[in-house]
Amino acid sequence: MKKLLALASLALILALSALGGAVSSAQVSRHAAGKIGGPLNMIAWEGYADPSFVRPFEAQTGCHINVTYAGSSDEMFAKFRAGGGTAYDLVSASGDASLRFIHSGAVQPVNVSKIPNWKNLAPQLKSPPHNTVNGKHYGVSFMWGPDVLIYNTHVFHKAPTSWSVIYSHAYKGRITIPDNPIQIADVAVYLHYKHPYNLSNAQLARIKNVLMAQRPLIRTYWTSAGEFDQLFKNGEVVAGAGWPLMTVQLKQAHVPVADTVPREGATGWADTWMLSSHSSHVACAYAWMNYALSPQVQKKVVAVTDYSPANLKTARLLPASEAKALHITDTHYFDTLKFWQTPPNYTQWQLIWNEIKG
Amino acid sequence: MATYEGALPRAVTARRAVARQVRAHRRLALALVLGPPLIWMAGFYLGPLVYLLLESLWQIQNYNVVQVWTLANYTQIFSEPVWLDVLRRTVVMASLVTLSAIVLALPLAYFLVRYTRRWRHLLYLAVLIPLWSSYLVRVFAWKTILGRDGLLNTFLIGIHVVHQPISALLYSNTAVYITLLQIWLPYMVIPVYAAIERIPPSLYEASSDLGARGWRTILHVVWPLAFPGILAGSIFVFSLSMGDFITPLLMGNGTQFIGNVIADQFGIAYNYPFGAALAILPLIVLTVFLAIARRFGVLEAL
Repeated sequence: MKKLLALASLALILALSALGGAVSSAQVSRHAAGKIGGPLNMIAWEGYADPSFVRPFEAQTGCHINVTYAGSSDEMFAKFRAGGGTAYDLVSASGDASLRFIHSGAVQPVNVSKIPNWKNLAPQLKSPPHNTVNGKHYGVSFMWGPDVLIYNTHVFHKAPTSWSVIYSHAYKGRITIPDNPIQIADVAVYLHYKHPYNLSNAQLARIKNVLMAQRPLIRTYWTSAGEFDQLFKNGEVVAGAGWPLMTVQLKQAHVPVADTVPREGATGWADTWMLSSHSSHVACAYAWMNYALSPQVQKKVVAVTDYSPANLKTARLLPASEAKALHITDTHYFDTLKFWQTPPNYTQWQLIWNEIKG
Repeated sequence: MATYEGALPRAVTARRAVARQVRAHRRLALALVLGPPLIWMAGFYLGPLVYLLLESLWQIQNYNVVQVWTLANYTQIFSEPVWLDVLRRTVVMASLVTLSAIVLALPLAYFLVRYTRRWRHLLYLAVLIPLWSSYLVRVFAWKTILGRDGLLNTFLIGIHVVHQPISALLYSNTAVYITLLQIWLPYMVIPVYAAIERIPPSLYEASSDLGARGWRTILHVVWPLAFPGILAGSIFVFSLSMGDFITPLLMGNGTQFIGNVIADQFGIAYNYPFGAALAILPLIVLTVFLAIARRFGVLEAL
């Protein structure tokens, strides 16, 4: 009996090592075909790793993408830094998180000469202050867009013209806004403050009162695009502050919604692909950055998210009406959005947000 | 191969030799048995707790955790009222859930022990079956039941009890309470059932022989004997409800409990030292609770 057991385990060990040998030889032959191979770990906003453009990249380069989604810039920053900052290679950081990544040493400069598609980016997105410090590029701009008012078209027969609908008792308990202290800037825009990210204590106090008054009207604060979709799909909310991505996803699910930028204006965000200082998959990361900036892929991302692409050449691949609606080449529209940035007194914003949530 | 008669004394001799060694090196044997679990506890439980305490005394500089000693995290907890409000709200919710669990578990356990015989194990299993499904599955099930278009509202509108869906059933503290109660109830039923099952049936007979029946028996015989079980179940339910952050996140309207603010400090705000300081708070509450339980002799009964 003992001899049989010993023979069986010896056979198993030999079989496993043969299998391992076969696998490693397959990897060797894949390398020989010119692909890069290996994993590429990223933290991204929802919609930025859709299979429609990830699968061709994986087939082309052999890099296998593992994506984790985050619902806010704070969450993205915390998740990226967790565990010593070695878990992820790439992050799609918005302008309010990018400088935090740079100043904390979490990301490394990228060599834009290795990314040919960078040359065709919109001029204001090539070296914006939120990802270029002292002339060094700490990433490449990818997509940008506004924070929009999404509403149920059966309840609102015409597009609302003002953000006041989400502060209105008429829709009590049917409203949702992001669980994100940066929403304070949205209230500042609603109140026509000129510098939404540079607020005095008096302005913050007034904003806090507005948010406190809004508190009983909120069904719940959403933390991810998926949760936002569920709230609309289940009929729990009829209006909310969200991103154009959710309008696309809800329309695909046959929920009657539309989005709009009301007359007070809107905050916005511009996302940058940044490379971790501790990344061990730099080749795959550069391949992804160039791939994601190419017009064909930007067009696919537009189809998934309805965000505005950074690469100007994408405008030629889209129908003229869509290119116009996305304001791809419209720098005037770009300048009207109050893009996310990290306020100097952000810890105060976080405290106010905690006090409002309760 | 030796004969059967020869093999038996050899096995016995070997066992006696081992027993002699253990007796001679009693301390070594004890160390070998207790060692691995103690090392595991020290490394994976006590170690991190000590590290948590240390981390609460450090701070964030330039978006990095630096090991510079400070009491600022604790002064922040006491100078900004929102944190103690959150703690108070959590203790109230956990207490409500625990008391409700006792009220629900006692009659259930008593009924199972005293009035069922054939179906007892099947019914007891029915109480435990929810534990076989994942926690998240149960919370999402409550979401589909309590929503505006959910099972309960559709039913109530269907039988014309209400004409509009009751929106307070979901995304509210009520929803959090209902969900927590249902999820942690089995952890109350198990010790209470075990305690009541241990009561010898002869005590009930003796009690009625002496003239007390029904409520007086329950009050004077069942309750004191089941009390250690009730308190043990309370420890489980109270500590589980205190730390829960997923149910308030999914079922609440943004109102924070202590678990949420701690999780946010680590997962969103990237302020590990402050999160560690906040984590000490429920630790203190639970230590006080356990000290009270110890006075009632519960820990021996466990």
